[in-house]
Formats: sequence, structure tokens, C-alpha cells
Amino acid sequence: MVSRLKERFVRSVFFFTAFFAVIVVAFILLFLLRDGYSIFETVGVVNFLFGPTWAPASVAPSYEISALIIGTLLVTLGAMLFAVPLSIGCAIYISELASPRIKSILKPATELLAGIPSVVYGFFGLIVLSTFIRITFNIPSGQTWLAGSILLGVMALPTIISVSEDAISSVPCEYREGSLAVGATRWQTISRVIVPGALSGIAAAIILGIGRAIGETMAVLMVTGNTAIIPSPIWNVLSPVRTLTGTLGIEMGDVAIGSEHYHALFGVAVVLLVITLIINMSAVSILSYLRDGRSAGRAKRSWLHLPALSLIREKLIPYSRIAILALIALLFLAAGFWEVALVVVLAAAAWHYGRNMISRRHIELFAFGCIVAAAVAVLAILAIILGYIIINGLPAISWNFLTQGPSDLGRSGGIFPAIVGTLYLVTGAILIALPLGVGAAVYLVEYTREGRVTKLIRTGVDLLNGTPSIVFGLFGFAFLVIFLDIGVSLLAGMITLALMVLPTVIRTTEESLKNIPHSLREGSFALGATQWQTIKNVVIPPAIPGIVTGAILSIGRAAGETAPIMFVAVVFSTRFLPTSLFQPVMALPYHLFILSTNVPGSSTNKYGTALVLLMLVVAFYAVAILIRNHYAKKARG
Amino acid sequence: MVTVCLAALLIVSMLVAGCTSNGTTTTVPATATQAGSSAPTTAAQTETLTLTGSTTVLPIAQAVADAYMQAHPEANIQVSGGGSGVGIQAIINKKVDIGMSSADVSAAQKAQDSDMNIITIAHDGIAIVVNPANTIQDISLAQVKQIYSGNTTSWSSISGAGIANSNNQIVLVGRDSSSGTRSYFDSSVMQGANDSLSMHEDNSNGAVLQEVAQTPNAIGYISIGYLTSDVKALPIELANGTLIAPTVATVKDKTYPIHRDLYMITNGQPTGLAKDYLDFLLSPDGQKIVVAQGYVALNS
Repeated sequence: MVSRLKERFVRSVFFFTAFFAVIVVAFILLFLLRDGYSIFETVGVVNFLFGPTWAPASVAPSYEISALIIGTLLVTLGAMLFAVPLSIGCAIYISELASPRIKSILKPATELLAGIPSVVYGFFGLIVLSTFIRITFNIPSGQTWLAGSILLGVMALPTIISVSEDAISSVPCEYREGSLAVGATRWQTISRVIVPGALSGIAAAIILGIGRAIGETMAVLMVTGNTAIIPSPIWNVLSPVRTLTGTLGIEMGDVAIGSEHYHALFGVAVVLLVITLIINMSAVSILSYLRDGRSAGRAKRSWLHLPALSLIREKLIPYSRIAILALIALLFLAAGFWEVALVVVLAAAAWHYGRNMISRRHIELFAFGCIVAAAVAVLAILAIILGYIIINGLPAISWNFLTQGPSDLGRSGGIFPAIVGTLYLVTGAILIALPLGVGAAVYLVEYTREGRVTKLIRTGVDLLNGTPSIVFGLFGFAFLVIFLDIGVSLLAGMITLALMVLPTVIRTTEESLKNIPHSLREGSFALGATQWQTIKNVVIPPAIPGIVTGAILSIGRAAGETAPIMFVAVVFSTRFLPTSLFQPVMALPYHLFILSTNVPGSSTNKYGTALVLLMLVVAFYAVAILIRNHYAKKARG
Repeated sequence: MVTVCLAALLIVSMLVAGCTSNGTTTTVPATATQAGSSAPTTAAQTETLTLTGSTTVLPIAQAVADAYMQAHPEANIQVSGGGSGVGIQAIINKKVDIGMSSADVSAAQKAQDSDMNIITIAHDGIAIVVNPANTIQDISLAQVKQIYSGNTTSWSSISGAGIANSNNQIVLVGRDSSSGTRSYFDSSVMQGANDSLSMHEDNSNGAVLQEVAQTPNAIGYISIGYLTSDVKALPIELANGTLIAPTVATVKDKTYPIHRDLYMITNGQPTGLAKDYLDFLLSPDGQKIVVAQGYVALNS
């Protein structure tokens, strides 16, 4: 009887942890709406969304965000034009062409690219990229749409590469063999069979990449100039722009609480959240459609032949090629490179009429050349960014720098309180997120069959995963700092970061639980163990490496984030370490942001801080990748 | 395997750096090493004072805090930026011990907090800055207004101005919408005209300085405390033709036209550490630090 009660209690605890994600999403939306609602009322929803003028400081303040929405969309579009070809090329290279040895370099390298904190990207963009663009294009200022797009493109690369690589590798082997057997070259197999076969997966990858790009704050804020105008003409990539996230990042810290401007910013956050939710839900539904289609009898009706997709393949692709070509040519033309536009058009025409005259071998050679070039470009980007930070940061690193408090606004002295503050923040965050996340995963895998409740919970987790980090920051500020009156503090930062990494913990734990063979569980039940005993003694122990990997990845992500903590947990400079959870701390990413934007003449310490932050985050990612690879090898035998 | 190598490489490079730069202590000024010579500890009896607000006042507050903490090891003074609006709001909400502002507190803000105690701690001027590559030597406030309202968009329409090898298009750099510096600039220079929407918005004096220093065609405005040789501070041409450079002397005798006061704000009369800190700041020693930071001391 007692044990029955205990089982029930344990079950409900797990249910609560699983449902927590749903509660959080509801809370975030509720609190953003609570503070943003009044702006929709005073300005009017239509005016707010479609009016062109965002001018909070003008004589007659105006809160209309169409320029911000368009800025966000343009920067994202540019990022995708940059990232999609590169990352699909790289994904094809990794899964189809690379030798195992090269693959073992390239895959972790792209994952490390994901580990570089966004403020480090911004720092690099601010100092190197924007100057490069200014000089290359001979324009007055390098803080442009183009700079934002390139940075965001680089940041979206890892997401698109890893998801589309999964999609490409999971195309059934028979397809590949069949194609080669009828005499197709490798390139024909890739371009006509494998890539079309993986199309929906690649589409989902691109959409996830878009979601990542739209939600990004710090990097964009530092390089786009933050000018709330619609580029004129609209395709002028060298115009400064301002995004929704950038607006929140630059103005939220400065706004008087309760003012109309404050409500307008929460209105912006609501719009941002809705946009990212729509994007992520569509990616998730494509991916789940793909999964269901596959499990529901792939012999008879593979997802390759879904009606919608075949429509796309047969009807739209020939036209879309022309459309994309026209778009690219137009963009170059608009940017003033009519020579490049001409070359693009001529090359396409030559290809169209002359491709039957070129041998298949040469076409293959050319295509593989492009693919290898894409992979090399990705590696080169990683090398340039790491190299730049390491070369400039090394001279700053000294024992004093690592062990002392800052002075003179961080121009001199060290960053010890920032290092410790960051470690405190991530420790607290993972201590909160781990029990909740593992509990949720256990509930999803062990206690339920797929149904309405799990669907709701999964949706909650997916939504939480897609929520932009700056929105977590706003939520933490509105709910924890103001509503619960915790104040700007370590505790508020820990909770905010915990919510942000919760989906990662849930996902990785779920994956590793699913990999535990069913026979183990059945054996345990057969010996008379209860469900909880089975979970505790049989299921969890072998899943621990997976859980640890997820936890370390989460720590790495949390350690590099600036946007969620900048309004919630951090202080400009402090000499001492916090003595209670209710004190604010210094944190490395915020310190780097401050040094690189607010404090002139801090160059040595700036690079040093960037290097230490990079090391810390990359070290976490490297350890996580190592653990995963180690156990993956073991599992394979 | 490769990850191991990468990680090992990174760690080794850090260690090497640690060893080599131990010899080159020149990166850390002597004063700083004194100030922070003991590693930070979680001392049991620390007393904490928090300041938030204007990035214009921030360097003064931090320098005074550094000096104060050097003399009083038990004091922990935390200084944050944010902007004048934040500083005033934090005092109204009683979230901070001392608010910093470079803008006058409005009547509406005063009405929200009857205890508000506003202390003038220094004088400041707002300098109009351009990139050193610009040939311009001086500017009038009318020209500044034309430039920032978007009516003048090219350096070639201003006599004496121009940047070699460029199209002379002006890059406007200003501050974010809740900056005290911007509100003062808007009221004293723009006088009711709106800033051009094509202005780049940066969220601190330092960011404006950096962007102007990096961008040959830029114009910006920053507090004189932030002036460095990376930018050219333009003398203002008055209506009678005299040129007044933005210096401590011209702000002090109020001949420089864009000058203002800097404030620290408390809830009621300051007590304890806040009182000691403010007393130190207003003392001759504290005012020396104000001058050392490039601002103008109060006339005693």
C-alpha cells in the first residue's frame, strides 16, 4: 500500500516536471502580454505593427514597428542566402564525400562554431567585419545590413549543417545503391536522389536556422547600426538597419519602468516571440511529419512521395530555380555590381544550354569542387575567428588578469569576479534545470504513451527551445526582478538561464533514455521491480553519460549568453564575490559587451576577456563532444 | 581525437600566455595593481553601496569608488550603467542607493518620490566630435542642428569639411532614446527639431566615441570626460564669430554653449556608506578625481 502511494507520488512529481515547460511558456507569454498589452491599446494593433516610425525619443514619441520587423526579416534573409549554400554543401561533404578521418575533424569543428558565444561574434563583427565592409565597399559606415547578415549566417551554419546532415545520412541506403547501380555518377546520385530525398529534412534545417537567426540579439546589435529605417531601395544591403531583438537589447536597459516606451518594448517582444514561435512550430511539424511518415511504412509510401512534396518537386522546382537566379542577379545588380550580375546570368545560361556538351565527369568534378570549397570555407571561418581572438587575447592573459578584480571600469585590473560570477550563474542554472529536465524526460519516455498530454508537453518544450534568449531576459526582468521583487541578482540570473537551457537538457536526456533497450526494463519488471525502482536502478544509470553530455552542453550555452542576464543578474563592476543569492554579479559575456561598447581604451583587457570567455565555453563544448563520442564508440562496440 | 587535440592546444596556449606575460607587467598600470593587489575575497564585514545610471557620470563614480575602496578595504561599491532614465527610475523604485543622472530630474519624476535628494557633483560639456580624417576645423550649432535633423547630409556642403577619398556622406551617430546626454543635446541643440531617423544609435558615450573613431565620415556627441585623441573635438562657432573649444576651462566659465550639471540622487539624506562616499566625492580630494577624469569640478 505504502509502495503504491509512493509510486503515485513519484509519478506525479515527474508529471509536474514535464508539465513545467508548458507552464513556463504560458507564463512568458502572459507576462510579456501583461506589460505589452497597453501599447496595443494606446497605439492600436494595426498602427503598431504596420506604422513605419519608431522614434521613442522624438518630440512626439512614435511607437510603430514595421521598420523593425522588415529589418529583422531582411537581415535573416541575407543570412540565409549566405548560410544555406555553405551549410548544405558542408553537410553533403560530411555525409557523402568526406573520409572518416576528415569527418572526425569537420563535425566537431562545426559544433565548436555553435559554441562561440554570440557576444564574441558581435565583438569580432564590430572590430573586424564592419571595418572590412566599410573599406571593401568604400562606404561611409560598415555597420550595415550586410554585416549583420554575414554574422547571423555564420551563427546559423552549425544548426543547418547538423540537421541537414542528419537528414542526408538518413536517406535509405537502397536509394543510393539503386541510383549507382543504374549507372548514375556520384554527383547525379547526390543531386537527383539523395538531396531531393532529404529535402524535407533540409527544409526543416533551414527553418530552424532562420529561427536561430531571428532570435539572435547581441551580435546583431553590435554591427547593424541600429537605425530604425527601411533600407532605401529595399535591397540596399549596405544600409544600416535595426532588428526587433536589437531594439530590445539597446533600449530595454535604459527605459523607465512603466513608461509608454517600456510597454512598447514588451509589445516588440510579443511580436518577436510570435514570429519565432510560428517559425519553430513549422520546422517542428515538418520534422515530425517526416518521422511519422517514415515509421508508418516506408516501403510502401516513403515521405519522398508525399503529395505536397512531389508537387513542389515537379511543379515548382523548375520555376524556383529561375526565380532564385533572378533574385541573386537582382541583388548584385542592386548592390552596384552589375558585372557580377552579368556573370551570374551568363553562367546560368551557359549551364542551361551547354550542360549536355560537358561530360558528366567534368560536371561532377566541378560540383565536388564547390562542395569541398563550402566545407573549407566553414573551417576557414572558424579558424579566422578563433585565430583573431587568440592572437589578440593572449598578451592580455596573466596571473593578475585572471585573479584580480577590475579597476578603472575594467581598463586595468583583472576579471576574476566575472569568471567566478559566470561559474556561479551556470552552476545555479544547471542545478535548477537538471532535475526538472531529467524529470520531464523520464516522464515523457517512461511513464506515458504518445497522446494529447505528451503532445502538449512536447510542444511546450519545442516552443521554449525556440524562444529568443532576449525574450528570456525580458521575462526574467518582468517576472523575477520586478513582479517577484527579487531584484537584479544572482538568483534571478540562475533561474532565467535555467529556463533557457531546460529544453536542451530534456532533449538530450530523452535521447539517451530512448537508447536504453526495452529488454532491460522488461527484465526488471519481470523480477518484480516497481516502475520507480526500474527507473532508478535500471534505466537511469546507463543513461548518465548522455545526461551529463546534455548538462555540459547546457552549461556551455548558458556561460556564453549575454542577452538573458543583462537586465536580470549582472553589474558593471564589483570588487567582491557575491555573498548571497540576492546580490548581482559580474559575468564574462556582459563584461565583454561593456568593454567593447562602453569603455574606450580597454583594448588589452577586452581581447583578454574575449579569449577567456571563448576558452571557457569551447572547453565545455569540447568536453561534451568528447564524452558523447567516447560513449558512441562504446555503444557501437 | 581531434577535439582532444583542439582542447589541449587551447589549454596549452593559455598556459604559455600565462607564463610569458608574467614578465610583461606593463599591461597593468602600477596604480591598478596597488588597488587590486589583494585577490578579491568574500570578506565577512563588507558594506555594499550600489550606484546606477548615466554613463556620463559613470567614470567619475567608478574612479571615486576605486579611490574610496583603496582606503576602505571593507567597502564594496558596485557601479552600473544604464542611462540617466534608469538611474532616476531606480531611485524612485528604491532599487539602488545612489542614482546617477546627467539630465535634470523632471517635475513628473520628482512627484513620484517626494524624498528625492538631488546633489550636483560636477559640471560637464557635450563635445561635438568627428573623425580625425575630417578636415573640418570648427562648426556652429546651427550647422549641427541641420546635420542632425537630416537636412545637411554631405560634408561638402559645410565649408572646410571633407574627407579624402570618400563621398563625403555624413554618418550620424547619436545616443539611444533614454540617454541623458541625448535628451540634453535634443533640448539645447536641436531645440524641438527631431533627430534624423537615419542616425545610428549607440547606447553609451564609449560606443559613440568608438564608432566615430572607426568611421571617417562620422559625427557624434559625447561628454568631454570621454574625449581622447581618437576623435577630433570641434570648437563651436558662436553667432559673433568667436570659436569656443570644449575644454574644462570653457565649461567652467560657461562660455562653451553646451554645458550642463551632473547629479547623484539619493532617497532622503544619505546615511552610512552612501554619505561617506558622497562626502568624499564632494571633498577637494574627490573633486580632484573629477578633474582627473576630464570633467569640471564644482566651484568651491
